[in-house]
Amino acid sequence: MKKIRVIFIFVVLLSLQFMNAYGVQRFPKPDFESGYLQPETLQPSARAGLLAIMDVSVLALALALVSWLVLKKRSRTGVFWTSVFSLAYFGFYRQGCVCSIGAIQNVTLALFDKSYVIPLAVLAFFILPLVFTLFFGRTFCAGVCPFGAMQDLVSFRPQKPDPRLNAVLGMMPYIYLGLAVLYAATGSDFIICRYDPFVGIFRFNASFGMLIFSGTLLVSGIFIARPYCRYLCPYGVLLNWASRFSWRHLTITPDKCIQCRLCEESCPYDAIDIPVVDLNPEGRSVTARKLILVSLLVPFFIVLGGWTGSRLHETLAGVNGKVRLAKILLEPERYRDQPEPFEVTAYKSSGKPLTVVYDEAAGVLRRFYTGGWLLGCFIGLVFGMILAGRLLTRYSTDYTPNKGACFSCARCVDYCPVEKNGTKEVKP
Amino acid sequence: MMKNNHDTGHRGLFRTVALISAVFAMVMCVLIVVNYIQVKRTDPLNTPVMKALVERLQGNPGDDQLRQQIRELDLLARKAFFTTQWQVRMGGYLLFFSLLIAVICLKYLEMREKPVPEAPQGEKTDFWNDRNINRSWVAYTGIGIVVLALVLGTLTHLELGKRLEPAGLLMGGNNATFNAGNANNAGNADNADSGKRRVAVAVVTEGYPSAQEINANFASFRGPGGDGIALKQNTPTSWDGKGMKNILWKTEVPLPGFNSPIIWNDRVFLTGASETTREVYCFDLNSGKIIWKFPVDKIQGTPAKAPVVNKETGQCAPTMTTDGRRVYAIFANGDLIALDMDGKKVWAKNLGLPANHYGHSSSLVMYHDLLIIQYDQRGAGCVMALSGKTGEVAWKTSRNVRISWASPILVNTGSRMELILVADPLVASYNPADGKELWKMECISGEVGPSVAYADGVVFSVNDYAKLAAVEIGDPPKLLWEDNEYLSDIPSPLATGKYLFLATSYGTVVCYDARKGTKYWVHEYDTPIYASPILANGKVYLLDKKGVMHIVKADQTYAVVGEPQLGEGSVCTPAFASGRIVIRGDKSLFCIGKP
Repeated sequence: MKKIRVIFIFVVLLSLQFMNAYGVQRFPKPDFESGYLQPETLQPSARAGLLAIMDVSVLALALALVSWLVLKKRSRTGVFWTSVFSLAYFGFYRQGCVCSIGAIQNVTLALFDKSYVIPLAVLAFFILPLVFTLFFGRTFCAGVCPFGAMQDLVSFRPQKPDPRLNAVLGMMPYIYLGLAVLYAATGSDFIICRYDPFVGIFRFNASFGMLIFSGTLLVSGIFIARPYCRYLCPYGVLLNWASRFSWRHLTITPDKCIQCRLCEESCPYDAIDIPVVDLNPEGRSVTARKLILVSLLVPFFIVLGGWTGSRLHETLAGVNGKVRLAKILLEPERYRDQPEPFEVTAYKSSGKPLTVVYDEAAGVLRRFYTGGWLLGCFIGLVFGMILAGRLLTRYSTDYTPNKGACFSCARCVDYCPVEKNGTKEVKP
Repeated sequence: MMKNNHDTGHRGLFRTVALISAVFAMVMCVLIVVNYIQVKRTDPLNTPVMKALVERLQGNPGDDQLRQQIRELDLLARKAFFTTQWQVRMGGYLLFFSLLIAVICLKYLEMREKPVPEAPQGEKTDFWNDRNINRSWVAYTGIGIVVLALVLGTLTHLELGKRLEPAGLLMGGNNATFNAGNANNAGNADNADSGKRRVAVAVVTEGYPSAQEINANFASFRGPGGDGIALKQNTPTSWDGKGMKNILWKTEVPLPGFNSPIIWNDRVFLTGASETTREVYCFDLNSGKIIWKFPVDKIQGTPAKAPVVNKETGQCAPTMTTDGRRVYAIFANGDLIALDMDGKKVWAKNLGLPANHYGHSSSLVMYHDLLIIQYDQRGAGCVMALSGKTGEVAWKTSRNVRISWASPILVNTGSRMELILVADPLVASYNPADGKELWKMECISGEVGPSVAYADGVVFSVNDYAKLAAVEIGDPPKLLWEDNEYLSDIPSPLATGKYLFLATSYGTVVCYDARKGTKYWVHEYDTPIYASPILANGKVYLLDKKGVMHIVKADQTYAVVGEPQLGEGSVCTPAFASGRIVIRGDKSLFCIGKP
C-alpha cells in the first residue's frame, strides 16, 4: 500500500512537467495577422509597502529560526528545511530581489549619491544578516540565503578542495566586492545583479550565457560545495569579517571534545580548524622573520595595488554609460558604418549639450581614478593580510569551526557523538 | 525484514526516477543548446530567398502576386522564429522541473543512505604541510596578480581623459548639442552657465575663454562658433520698436555698417565706417550708452583711399569677434585691429587691400587665442590665424578658391574641432590649431555669400544659382543630398539635427528634413530677408529687411510664435543675451527685453 502511494506521488511529480507545458500553451503567442499591438512598456511598480514589511519580517524570522536551530537545537535537518523554504520564498517567490548580496550596492550608492534614497527594506536586507552574524555566526548563509540553499541542494559529492585552489580562488570575493563597490559608488552599474548567476533561474528568464554560468556553478557545486559562496560572494566577505567577532558561534561539540576525529571530514567547506598542538617545524624565528617581511611589504602591496588600479581607471570606467557615450561621440568615424548605438539615439533625444556629456564623462573618469586607487589599495591590503594570516597560527587542542569561513550549516553537529551531558548515539 | 525490503524498493524507485529525470534533463539541455544556436543563426527577414524576391519586386513593383508571396514568406519566417524561441523557453521549463525531480530523489536517497561517520584512517592531516602549500599558492596568486597588474598598468594608454578634458574646453558654443534636433534645448547653456556643470572649464587657460564663457556670450557672427545657435533661454518674443514696448534702450550708431553686434558680458561691440572714417564702438548692454569708441586709423599700410565696395556690403560688413580679453575688428580696406576691453589699442595691422569687388565681408572668429580670418580674394585666397595677443601670424593656409563673402564657422564634430569654410568651388575643413586641411568637397559655385550651417556631423552649404548641399563630414566627406529649388545668396542656413532652415533674400523660408532633404514646409514672406536666422530657446528668429522679426517654432510644421516689429529696417543678424536681443537697425542699435 505504501509502495503504491509512493509510486502515485512520483507519477504526479513527473506529470507536473507536462502540466506546465500545457499551462504555457494556453496563452497563444502574438499573432501578426490578428492586429496584435505591442503592449506599452511600463516601469514595474515598487513593491507594496506591506509586502516589503512582510519580506523583512520573513527574513528576520528565518534568521532567528536558523540561529535557534543551529545554536540551540543543533539540528541540521531543521536548517536544511529552512533553507528549502528560503529558496522557495526569497528565490522563486521573491525572484531573488532584493537580496542581501545585491544590497551592498544600494548601500554604497546611498553613501556616495545623496540623491539616491535607499528603501528601508533594502537597508534591512543588508543589515539584518550582518547583525545576526555578529551575534550568532553566518546563520544567514546556513539557511536563509537562497543562493546558498540552491548550491547546498546539489552538493551531493563534496570533496575537500585542494589548498592551492583555495589559495588561488580565495582572493576572488575581495576583488569582486571591491569592483561592486567601485561601480556602485560611481553610479555605473550594479554588477552583482548583472552577473547574478541564479536570478535567471529564479525568474525563468536567464540569458543563454548566464544559464551556462549558473549551470557550470551548479554542476561544479556537486563536487565543490557552494562554489559561489566560497569563491565569489562579495557579501560573504562582510559576513566572514563579522562572524570572526560573533558573540556565540556554532560549536561542533556541545561539550568537551573527545578527539574522536569523526567530524574531521564532515565539513564540505573545509571550515573546521583541526587541532594544532605541535610547534611549527620551521621554527619560531623563521616564521617571525617572514611575518616581519610580509608586514613591511604590506604598504608596498597597497601602493602597488593603488597605482595599478589608478592606471586601469579608464578601462574600469568603460562600464559607465556616460563614459561609453562620450567615447562613441568622440569617435563617430568608428561607428559610421554601423547602426547608430542606442546610447547615441537616447542622447540625441535628450538634447543635452555635448559639453555636458564630455564634462560628465570627465567627472566620472576622475571618480574612477580615485576609485581605482582605493580599489587597488584594498586588494593590496587584502593580499598582504591574507599572506600575513597564513603566518599566524592559533594553537588549539580541539576541532573547532573556523568562525570566519564556517557557514553554520550544522553538518558537523550530526557527526559529533558528544551530547551536553554524555554521549549520544550517532544515527546512520 | 519486510521493512528492509520496502526500503530497498523505495530507494530503487527513487534511483530510477532520478536517473530518468537526469537523462531527460541532459537531453533537454542538448536540445536547448541546439535550438539556441539555430535561433542565433536565423535571420528570418534576410534569407536569400526573401532577398531575391524583394529584388524581383523592386524590378517589378506592380506585381501584387509577388508582393503577396513575400508577405506570406515573411509571416512564415516570423512564425518559425518565434516558435523556435518558444521551444527554447519551454525546454527551459522542462529542464528545470526534471532537474528538480532528480534533486528531490537524490536528496531523499542521501538522507536515507547517510553513511555512518567514520574517523579518517591513518595519520592526521599534516596541518603545517597544508599551511605551507596554501601560503605558497597565496603568494603565487599575489605575484600573478601583481605581474598582471603591472603589465596592464604599464600597457594601458590613458587617452580618454586627455581627450575628454580638451573636448569639453574646445566645445565653445557651436554645436552645443550633438543633435540640436530638439531645438528646445538650445537654451540649455543658460542653465549650464549658472549651474554646476563645469568640469573641464575648471582648468581654463589664462589666454582664452572657457567653453562656459563662450556659451554664456555671443562673441561672433551668428553666435558661439558661428552656427546660428544662441544658447539662451527666456528670449523675448514680443516687442514694438515704434511704441518702445519691451525696448530697453535704443541708441543711434554714429557710423553706418552692416556688421552685426556681438556681446561679451555687459558690453556690446560693433563697427561703423564711412569712406573716410572707421570706428569701433562699445555699448553698455544695460543702458545703451556708448562706453567708448575707437577710431581705426594710423595703421601702417592702410591704403590711402577706401576701396570701392557694393553699397549692400559697405566698408565694414565683417562682424567683430572677442575672446573676452580683447575685441577684434576688420574693415573692407584690410585694416585689422585688436583693442582691449576698455578700448585701448593692443595691436593693429593692415592685411593688404583685398581684391574683392563687392567689398570684404567675412567675419572673424576665435579659436582659443587665435584670431581666424578668411581672406578669400581674387587670385590669393587664404585662411590665417593670428595670435590674439600679438597679432603675429600663427599659421596661414592658401586656398585655391574664388572670392568668398561667407564667414568661417568652428564646430566640434565630437572627436575634434573643425574650421569650416565655403567658397567657390568647395566646402573645406581645417584644423583650427594648425590650419591643415582635413577634408574638402566641391559642391558649390558662384559668388558665395551664405556661410555654412552645421549639425550632427552634416555641413550645409548653399548659394544662389548653385545648389543647396548636405555634406556628411569625414575623410572623404559624403554628399547626403542636394536641392536647387530654394537658394540663398545672403542669409546663411541654420541647421539642427533634425531640421535645416533656409531663408532667402527674396523672403522665402524653407524647412527641410536635415538628413533626407525633404521639405517640411515653405513659407513666403513679402519682405526680403538678409539677416541670418538664429535658433534660440526652440524658436527660429528670422529678421526681415523691414525690421519685422518672424519668430517660428523650430518644428516640422510651420507655427508662428510672434511677428514683432523693430520700427526700423535691418539687414544685420541679431545677437542674443540672456533674456535680451540686440539688433542693429539701419540707424540705431536696439536692445529688446522685458524691463
